[in-house]
Parts: sequence; structure tokens; C-alpha cells
Amino acid sequence: MDPSAFDRQVRLSIYRAIVEDGRPPTAPELAGTLDVPAAGVEDAFRRLADGRAIVLAPGTPYVWMANPFSAIPTPFEVRVGDRGYFGNCIWDALGIPACLHEDAQIRTFCPDCSEPISLEVRGDMLAAPAGATIHFAVPAAHWWEDIGAT
Amino acid sequence: MLLFRSGEHVDRWSEGRGLPTGGVLTPEQCWRLARAWFHDRLSPDWRRRTPEEATRIFGEIGLTGPFWRLG
Repeated sequence: MDPSAFDRQVRLSIYRAIVEDGRPPTAPELAGTLDVPAAGVEDAFRRLADGRAIVLAPGTPYVWMANPFSAIPTPFEVRVGDRGYFGNCIWDALGIPACLHEDAQIRTFCPDCSEPISLEVRGDMLAAPAGATIHFAVPAAHWWEDIGAT
Repeated sequence: MLLFRSGEHVDRWSEGRGLPTGGVLTPEQCWRLARAWFHDRLSPDWRRRTPEEATRIFGEIGLTGPFWRLG
């Protein structure tokens, strides 16, 4: 299999695991599933990260973000049926029902006053509290300079 | 990218951190952006958006100007 086809398979396997299990696989876990050497999967993780298809936790081969999903808990909790996920930000939280093409409830809180805020996606429609406002602090050209902070 | 109760809360939070107010969207705009950006993320054929494609998506949602310019 050529590297790009293998990387596509690895990328899809990461997403499949997140959707089904709620977390990304480690390279050895995925290597076992695909019946390939773990080092090859880890190399694919790094190529995917270099191509900004995923984000690895700094200094590790572990998947931190496969946007819109976060591998770690965040203040952007997304419930889809009986499954729960975390988005990396409010854009990503809304991206979870968008990529799953399913209804969802999103729970977060106002960073200014800590009041809980809920959003609901039903079909193509979004229900949000009156006045709710989304803020991007970092200009688009700088998003990837520190994606965790973005 | 954070969700606030209102624009006043954005302003107060930004001032408290000495930050200029960045890009402000309605939840509906962000939902449209999320659908345009992520609808195909689980497709085998997904590929990263080019800056030109991203700029077009931003523009369709009304996100224009230097803040939304990539690269």
C-alpha cells in the first residue's frame, strides 16, 4: 500500500475509533487492528500531524485532536444520542453534529461569568439563547502557531 | 473560539485580558461555518482546505477582512 493510501486508512481509523469508542487509538492499538507494525502507524500519525489532519499531544505520539474531536475533556461537551464527545472549541463542538450528520446537545459556559450555556442542533437547525455571541480571539493567519491556545 | 452570553461579556472578558476584540460571530454563523468546514471530515476523500477554499467559505458566511485572511 502506498503511504498516502495507508495514511488515509489510518486517518479514517482514528476517526472511527473516536466516534465509536469516544477516544482515539494509540499507535500500537491501531497497529493491532490493522495488523501492521506499530512504528509504521506512528510514522503515519506524524505525517498526518505534519499535514494538519490531526494534532499530536506535544512531545508524544498520542492523538490530542482529530478536529472537531478532542481526545481530552474540554469545556465543550457534546452529546449525540447516548454518546458523549468533547470539541476543542465552540466551532469544533458544532462541527461534531456537522460531521456526524446527527442531532446534538452542546454544553459549555460563558468564559466571562461562568454561566452555563446550551445549544441544540436538530437537523439543519441550531437553537441558541438570545444574545449568545461567539468570539475568535486569534486571527485566522495565526491559528496554527499555537493550535491549543487557538 | 469561545461562546459568551452576549457581546458585552465578550468585551468585558477581552478588556480583562488586555486583548483587542477579535472576530465575533452569531451562533448561526458559526453553525454554518461548522457545517461547511466539517461536513465531509469522516469521508475517505477528505483533504485539508486550501487557503483559497477557506477564504471562499469564510466569505459565504460573511467573515471577511484581515482578521479572517489565512496566510
